Amino acid sequence: MRAPSRHDNERQPLEVKMTPMIDVIFLLLIFFVTTSSFQPPEEVLPTNMSLPGSTSETVEIDPLEEDLDEIVVKVLWRQGGPRWEVNQREYQNLDQVGGVLTAVVGFQDDLPVILDVEGVVPMESVIDVYDLCRQIGLQRIQFAAAAGT
Amino acid sequence: MRSPTNLGRGSIGFNMTPMIDVVFLLIIFFLVSSHLARQETQVAVDLPDAVSSDRPEEEDVRRLFVNVLSENRILVGSQPIESARLETLLNYESQRSLGAGSARPLEVRIRTDRTVPYRAVEPILLACARSGIWNVKFAVVGSPK
Repeated sequence: MRAPSRHDNERQPLEVKMTPMIDVIFLLLIFFVTTSSFQPPEEVLPTNMSLPGSTSETVEIDPLEEDLDEIVVKVLWRQGGPRWEVNQREYQNLDQVGGVLTAVVGFQDDLPVILDVEGVVPMESVIDVYDLCRQIGLQRIQFAAAAGT
Repeated sequence: MRSPTNLGRGSIGFNMTPMIDVVFLLIIFFLVSSHLARQETQVAVDLPDAVSSDRPEEEDVRRLFVNVLSENRILVGSQPIESARLETLLNYESQRSLGAGSARPLEVRIRTDRTVPYRAVEPILLACARSGIWNVKFAVVGSPK
């Protein structure tokens, strides 16, 4: 690399080569183009299956001794859309269901929620309800399953 | 480009700069391609949305991906499987994780298309519960909170 040389002890002016600079910029450009994906990143919703270490035969949900109540949310499919029943009360709107659940959590938290979903309900609606329960802060969400299927 | 001669200099007479660029490029290339390769091996599924989803963690688990594309098409990894055989397979995988002492725990990730009816997924959850698999997660697309 040739820098102009001076025989006296003056400081030499900085002579910057552009070529490596262009290489680095090009590299950064290629990096960001290739790492951009137009798919939203996949995330997870954990389910609470039976706790590790317990036997796995129980698929019936038994109310535990310390809980007097449990919330049973039924997800139905009527007239091409989802409908919800919370402890046998019907609701047409997911926001209403959210309101009811929030109110219940205000009284007594750590209630188990049992989701009883009809077979024809699409997973989108199931995940909506599950997500709603998690957002409200209910952690013990279980899926009811008919034993014997 | 003029290379300086070695007369009067004790250093190597070639430019290090392009060398550094090439090494940097190789590092970036391998980082990016391993990241992309991991995402591309998964089957394309239109996942449901959720707001309260968590980032998938890089835990030391053995992950089994159960892709439910439609009511009748279930793929484990990328292999189609009949629903009758699914429970046997889950049982087998669970035994493998529990049996060998140092085997990594099993995680089942259920990736369903958003239009799949619940009756296609219920037997998967049942089979997991019966096989003693407790680490079951649903794959979703994160929505803004």
